[in-house]
Order: sequence, then structure tokens, then C-alpha cells
Amino acid sequence: MEAARHVFRVLFLLLVVVVVFAIGRTFLVPPSYGAYGPYRFDNVAEQAAIRLPQHGGAASCGACHAERLKVSSAGAHRAVGCEVCHAPVALHVRDGAKAADMPIDRSFTLCARCHRRIEGRPTAFPQIVLAQHQGGVEGTACIDCHDPHSPKL
Amino acid sequence: MPEISGYAFPNDVHVHWSLMIVMYPYITGFVAGAFIVTALYHLFGKKEFEPVARLALATSFCFMAIATFPLNLHLGHPERSLNVIVTPHFSSAMAGFGLLYSAYFVILLLEVWFVYRREIIETARRSRGLKRAFYASLALGTYDTSPEALEIDHRAVKVLSAFGLPAACMLHGYVGFIFGGIKANPWWSTPLMPVIFLLSAAVSGIALLVLLHQVTARLWRRPVERETVQAMARWLWFFLILTVTLELLEIVLLAYENSDAWHIISQLLTTRLEFSFISIQMIVGSLVPFILLAIIVTMNRYLHDRVRNTLAVVASLLLLVQVFAMRWNVVIGGQLLSKSFRGLRSGYQPELFHREGVLVAIGLFVLPFALLWVFDRVLPIEPASAPPEAGRGPAPEQEPARRTA
Repeated sequence: MEAARHVFRVLFLLLVVVVVFAIGRTFLVPPSYGAYGPYRFDNVAEQAAIRLPQHGGAASCGACHAERLKVSSAGAHRAVGCEVCHAPVALHVRDGAKAADMPIDRSFTLCARCHRRIEGRPTAFPQIVLAQHQGGVEGTACIDCHDPHSPKL
Repeated sequence: MPEISGYAFPNDVHVHWSLMIVMYPYITGFVAGAFIVTALYHLFGKKEFEPVARLALATSFCFMAIATFPLNLHLGHPERSLNVIVTPHFSSAMAGFGLLYSAYFVILLLEVWFVYRREIIETARRSRGLKRAFYASLALGTYDTSPEALEIDHRAVKVLSAFGLPAACMLHGYVGFIFGGIKANPWWSTPLMPVIFLLSAAVSGIALLVLLHQVTARLWRRPVERETVQAMARWLWFFLILTVTLELLEIVLLAYENSDAWHIISQLLTTRLEFSFISIQMIVGSLVPFILLAIIVTMNRYLHDRVRNTLAVVASLLLLVQVFAMRWNVVIGGQLLSKSFRGLRSGYQPELFHREGVLVAIGLFVLPFALLWVFDRVLPIEPASAPPEAGRGPAPEQEPARRTA
């Protein structure tokens, strides 16, 4: 037994680690963890409370840009929210006043996300083969020719 | 933008599991593979592995120390990664990680400690000041190096190897399990996946040790042990045969069943993965090493030492590439096909400077070797013996000091 003293020491150290972990875990595991599954349930309410809505939807844009909204509501993009291409309204408007310029994604890749030809899309949906459309549109801006608010040419 | 061919859903365009998810099983593979070599000596008493047993243990330890890095580089919120250790559960394969990883790491730490205990004590006795305090605390304050105590160490190492081997296999098998358990993906969803991952881990671990044995022998001016190279080549050949058999078996079964998934997987293998699967994984990485190792195993008597070493080194280098290609083909390949089973996306090219890019991946692969160097400074891997002559020229031929743990 005397010769095995170091084994007992290392086992004791291991026991200490396990105990510290077990005690530490009680502090680290949030109280609401596991209430409805393996996640912290309080997080749901927290996120709802701390996050101000970023997106306002088309109606919030229409408050200032009624003309634009009228055009786009009549066009083929009526089902596409303004904030798909424009940034969320919260970046642009704060407390009812303009806070910053509205960033706009003008890249062809954004348009391609919906309009590049993919077999899996409905056939009636307007799609282009990027390499063949107007001699190839890689890297160019679609909105040079199409008005994104009413894209029919 | 990735090109799409055939009938693919719009949400099948992105490769979410990037190069880092290729690196993770690659690195954990070395952990398990190197441990298998250690276990062959400590547990199964294969004396010919003695010269590399400690090197294998250190290698396993160093790769284990950084195994979580690729995952953390991949995570959007790496600071939350500790949650998986604090709140593990088994309803998700990934959430079991904390337990498996911690358990194996503890076993590995203990084994390193028992293997090195005598040297830690001797270093503590020789040293002064801070260094002494450091090694004394490493020795946990017991300075018992009596034969009885060393015998207990020896037994402890055996017991730990016995626990460590299944733990290492579980840790790596579980990586394969994550892929094997994804039923939506026909290229992943097979019970063979954990086994294939584990066997290829053994291949990569042994191959790495073949290389490290040659390199360290040059560095420390030790002779390269003929029996060790031979034995490692034999085991490498054995594991290579098993791995490739299972890898092919999986594909042959898919082809034979000719199910709807085969339609797309056959296309995937012959188009997108043609280079990485057929050329690299199967021909350059499997067939060529198979032949080279077969020469070592079957014609051993006729081989000059230098020829044997060269063949083993070349085969091992190719096998390191093969295992990487296998990880790539599984992880990336599985994300190139559409869940419709009727379309593919174009190949995935990792960026160079991205957080999950090529340079970081190379850095991740180099890091364990840097750690190995540090490990060797703190706990010399090669048991001390007479220092080699200063100056150039080969060291006098000597039997390396044998040291049993």
C-alpha cells in the first residue's frame, strides 16, 4: 500500500476535479435549462425583450416612401419585402426620423439567389442562365437594366 | 457562385460544413491512431513498438490538446462551446462530445503521468528553484521510485491503456457516428461510417508515427529500429486493407442495391469527386501504398534497411494524403449532392485567408508538432542516454537506452 501512495494522490486529485466540476456545474447551469428541453428557456423571453425589431415590413417604408411602395406593390416584386434588398429599417430610421442612409445590396448575386436557373424552381418562375443572359451577367448589376421595384422590362 | 446541375433545391447550394469540419476528424484521427500504437505496446505487449510507444503517447496527447480548435474556428459563437461540457446529453450526437472528449483526455493525462512519473521525479531531484517546484508539483509531491512503486506505475499504464483504447475508439467512432446518423444524406447515412472513420484513423496514426520515428531518429541521432519499421509497416498494411475494403464495400453495396441514391452518388464520384476520390483516395493514396507496404511485408528479407525505410516513408506520406482525401470526400462530398438525389452543386473551394480557410488549416496541422516539441522539452520523449558527440558526423552506434514504463 505504501508503494501505491502516488496512485491514491492522483485519484484524490481526480476526485477533487470531479467534485469541483460537479459544484461548479451547479453554478454554471442556468436555472431554466432543461425546462422544455436541453436549452435555456429564459433565453426565449430575453431575446424577445432585448432585441428591438429590426425589420418593419413594407408598411413602415410606405410611411415616407408612399410612391415607391405604390410602384412596387403593383409590380412583379410585390411579394418581395423591401428589406430583402435594402437593409432592415432600423438601420435607416430611429425614433421616427432618418438616422442614416439606407444601404442597398445592388449585387447580381442577390438577384441570382432567386432568379438564376435551378431545376428545382417552379417552371413558371422567371429564371435566367447567368452565363447566357445578355452574354453573361456574372459580376454586373442586374438593376442597370431592370428596375427592381418593377422588374418587368 | 456555385453552379448547379440537374434538379437541385435552391437551399442545396451552400456548403456549411467547411474545411474546418474536414480538419476535425483528420486531427482526432491522429489522436486515436497514435493511441492504438501506444496500446499495441502497453496492452498487447508488442515489444517491437517500444521505441515509438512514448512518441505515440505524446503525439496522441498533442493532437488531443488542439482537437477542439477546428470546431471552435467553425463556430459562430466559440465562447459558447464550453456549454457542451457543462450540459452534455445524449439526445444529440454532438452534445455527447463533452463527456467523450473529457473522459478520454483524463485517461490520456493519467497515462502520460504514469509513464513519465519516474523521470518527473528524477528531474525534480536534479533541479533547483522554480524548475524543481514545477516538477515537484507535477510529481504530486511523492518521490517514490522504489521497484514496487514502478511496478504499480507499469500496471496503471496497462489498466489505463485498457480503458483508453475503447475511449479513443469511441471518441473517433463518434465523429463517424455524427455523419453516419444523418439519414437525409445517402452518402453519409450508413452504419459503416464510424468503423470506416476509426480504421482510417488507425491508418493515419500509424503512418504519422512511421514518419515521426524516422524524423526523430535523425534528430536524436538514434538508429532507426528495423523491427519497429517492419512491425509498423505490417500493421499499417493490415489497417489499410481493412479501411479500403470497407470504403469500397460501402460503394459496391450502394451500386449493387442500385437504389435511387446511387443515381446521384455515382455521378458525384465520377464528376465532382473524380480527382479527390478516384485518383487521390483510391489510386495514389490506397493502391500505391498497398503495393509499397506489400513489398515491405512480403519481401522483407531481401530489403536493405534504407530501401525499407524509404518505402515506408513514401507509403506513409501517401497515406496521410489518402486519409485527408477520405475526410474531404465524406464531409465535402456529402454536401455537393442535392437532397432531391437528382442534382449536384459545383465543387467547393475553401478560401485562403478565411477563418476557416486553407492557411488556418495548415496552421492547425503544424500546431501539434510545435506542441510535440514543447512536450519534448518538458518531458523528454526519448529516454535520456549518453549525449551524442558534439560536432558533425554520425553518433556512435549504440543501443538506445531501453526504458519500460
